[in-house]
Amino acid sequence: MKKTMTISVLAASVALGLGVSGAAFAAKVPAGVQLAAKQELIRNNGSEAESLDPALAESVGANNIARDLFEGLTATDADGKVVPGVAESWKQTDPTTWVFKLRKNAKWSDGSSVTADDFVYGIRRFLDPKTASPYATTYGIFLINGKEAAEGKKPLTDVGVKATDKYTLEIKTPYPVAFMPELVSNTQLGPAPKQAIEKFGKDWTKPGKLVGNGAFVLKEWLVNSKLIIEKSATYWDKGNVQLTKVTYLPIEDGFADVKMFQSGENEWVYQLPPGTYAKYKAELPKDIRNAPMLGLRYYGLNAKDPMMKDIRVRKALSMVIDRDILSSKITADGQVPAYSVVVRGTAGSDVTSYDWAKWPMAQRVAEAKKLLAAAGVQPGAKIKFTYNTSEYHKKMAIFAASEWKSKLGLNTDMENMEFKVLLKKRHDGDYQIARNGWVADYNDATTFLALVQCGNDQNDNGNCNPKAEELIKQGSQSQDAAKRKQLLTQATKMIMDDYPMIPLLQYTVPRLVKSYVGGYSTKNPMDRYRNKDLYIIKH
Amino acid sequence: MWSYAFRRVLMTIPTLLLVITVCYLMLHATPGGPFDTERKISAAVLANLQAKYHLDLPLWQQYLYYLKSLLQGDLGASFRYADWSVNDLVANALPVSLAIGGGSLLLSVFIGVGLGIIAALRQNSIIDYLVMLVGNLGSAFPSFIIGPVLIMVFAIWLKVSPAGGWNDFQISYMLLPMALLTFINVSTIGRVMRGSLIEVLNSNFIRTAKAKGLPMHTIVFRHSLKPALMPVVSVLGPLAISSITSAVVTESVFSLPGLGKLIINGASNRDYTLVLGLVVLVTVVAVVLNLLVDLAYALLDPKIRY
Repeated sequence: MKKTMTISVLAASVALGLGVSGAAFAAKVPAGVQLAAKQELIRNNGSEAESLDPALAESVGANNIARDLFEGLTATDADGKVVPGVAESWKQTDPTTWVFKLRKNAKWSDGSSVTADDFVYGIRRFLDPKTASPYATTYGIFLINGKEAAEGKKPLTDVGVKATDKYTLEIKTPYPVAFMPELVSNTQLGPAPKQAIEKFGKDWTKPGKLVGNGAFVLKEWLVNSKLIIEKSATYWDKGNVQLTKVTYLPIEDGFADVKMFQSGENEWVYQLPPGTYAKYKAELPKDIRNAPMLGLRYYGLNAKDPMMKDIRVRKALSMVIDRDILSSKITADGQVPAYSVVVRGTAGSDVTSYDWAKWPMAQRVAEAKKLLAAAGVQPGAKIKFTYNTSEYHKKMAIFAASEWKSKLGLNTDMENMEFKVLLKKRHDGDYQIARNGWVADYNDATTFLALVQCGNDQNDNGNCNPKAEELIKQGSQSQDAAKRKQLLTQATKMIMDDYPMIPLLQYTVPRLVKSYVGGYSTKNPMDRYRNKDLYIIKH
Repeated sequence: MWSYAFRRVLMTIPTLLLVITVCYLMLHATPGGPFDTERKISAAVLANLQAKYHLDLPLWQQYLYYLKSLLQGDLGASFRYADWSVNDLVANALPVSLAIGGGSLLLSVFIGVGLGIIAALRQNSIIDYLVMLVGNLGSAFPSFIIGPVLIMVFAIWLKVSPAGGWNDFQISYMLLPMALLTFINVSTIGRVMRGSLIEVLNSNFIRTAKAKGLPMHTIVFRHSLKPALMPVVSVLGPLAISSITSAVVTESVFSLPGLGKLIINGASNRDYTLVLGLVVLVTVVAVVLNLLVDLAYALLDPKIRY
């Protein structure tokens, strides 16, 4: 995993240095593979898309559909590698300037050309406070005045995005953003069809009205039932698009999902229900697919809590949880033990670990006991763990509590609640230890570091390490990729030594995909599969 | 009777207002809001979102604003599904719920009343015990057990029916969920019908009828059925509401795009307008159904006049 990613990052760096030629990259059907006559796919998307407006898409499901209906400057292929999208080449002309050359044959589904102005309009609209995109500041910080515009403090015309001619787009960043080519694969930073938005207003995303520039067009959308897309006739790379029709299902219930898969009405289980991975691995070995992705399960430790503010307590709690047993026996779905906020496969930083991770458990326990005694925490002391109601989280929590009880003599009060209530408590810092998780927005260490950086919106634990902050800042300013990586790794290590959280497992996505669905790669760290890259093998 | 109906309809207005107010306050008092998500949005973006949905106004102003739109027939914009208004969402889901819930209720009335009559006439016979067994099974097994079993047998083993989903009122997609709801409703209706008919058959006027030498079918169909149906009619109101608007489990097991699914998603997403819209709908349906039930009493019982 790590190796592959390093190679892909290298490839991206080479591409950005030299500029990329406009070759087509999609749905490469390997020689010898016979395609089925009917190229149609039914794929569950896990939930109903909250919006088809790329500026408003927030959930994984909505973004999946957005990447089919729209295309940004770049895209990521089935291996997670950055490939040209509307831009056929790009170049970093100075540390904070990126120039994207757009292909002239990119078309909207109404037949009009996709131009640099469409990108300027799309990005400004995305940042516009009136649009109220949940991602506005998340991505806005990477554009000059982007964050300020999203906050309504600067006019949208001041944002660092400019059409220098009809097919050239210039993006200016406040500091060097090495992962810009990857970042602009997000359709939030893509073009928007001004003609359709102005004509139909709020209704522009409805079937018959939606104008996109992706490999597919919207055919039908029945909320909570299905969403059907069909191959676009105007897409520039349509020759490499194999699927003619894709039906997205919005099934949330994992068991219903699997049953429809077994009865043949679904060809792609979004995610196996907890505790069923081993069963289906044995029953349907050809269909099971499971690969790590850029996501972290962790427990947040509230540094503002009277007991948790002592680093020795935080360290002791983290040390005694046996991640190997947790991953192999408790969750048992292929997830990998984690000891850092940055997970394997993430570009921009090495994965750090703790020295004690290699110690025998007895030694870890002895050390943890010493730390607790020094902090004045006696066996029998109470700690409080908060999580949202779910069998999966409960299983993990019971394991953690039993580790704390059997190894340290601590008694855990387990408090479960509805997800929204937990979110509120976490955002308000009203907890001692809380279940948490994070999935990368883009493939760079900074997306994870946000969880532990001083004053960041995503930092629920209240921990702040000014020295590490300085290193991250230096790293961000640096143009030298190796230097940046070294600084960010160093910062990650420093922050993790503060024990702001207990990293537990790296996410995997155990799912069932019919064996005849080709183009699915298990090396896709962001778990983003454009239907453009998939095809149906004769079966 | 018409003036009674009119008065009853008028009385729904304060009921509705009370329900909306209580629900409105409860929703806003629930911890966590529509924009609390895993990725915490920045204060500025939150302000943008709140302004967009008028959440930046004081609560009483939001409330009045909501009532005003409601009077104009507008249930507002969904907080979660940004592309849809609550009216759109309800308009899409209601026909599905009506078809599944209404259809199964109609079936259940015929089957349930029929089985109830048979059981009552053959009280304590093997037929009676069988009917009662089915009735008890329907009440004892929750739908989240029967549903998956039905799918297992008919969709996965026998492959005669889809495992779930919805395809434009195609009957094959409706059969299993309707069968499930019917099974559950029949168990209630059948038991109520049996009990009530047995009671009627033991009453004095039936004894007189028997003494007069009337044939059994006349006694049952002309003299007993009407009074025996009274309790059945009483349970129909609540049954209809639960089958149409809150068939949450059935909809989730069979992945149906009905109202129950909207209610659950609306509540967990803190989609205030969606939940309120559905509460208004359920209240109206409940009031109308209860009114119909009361009016039906007058048809069944000559002692009741409005």
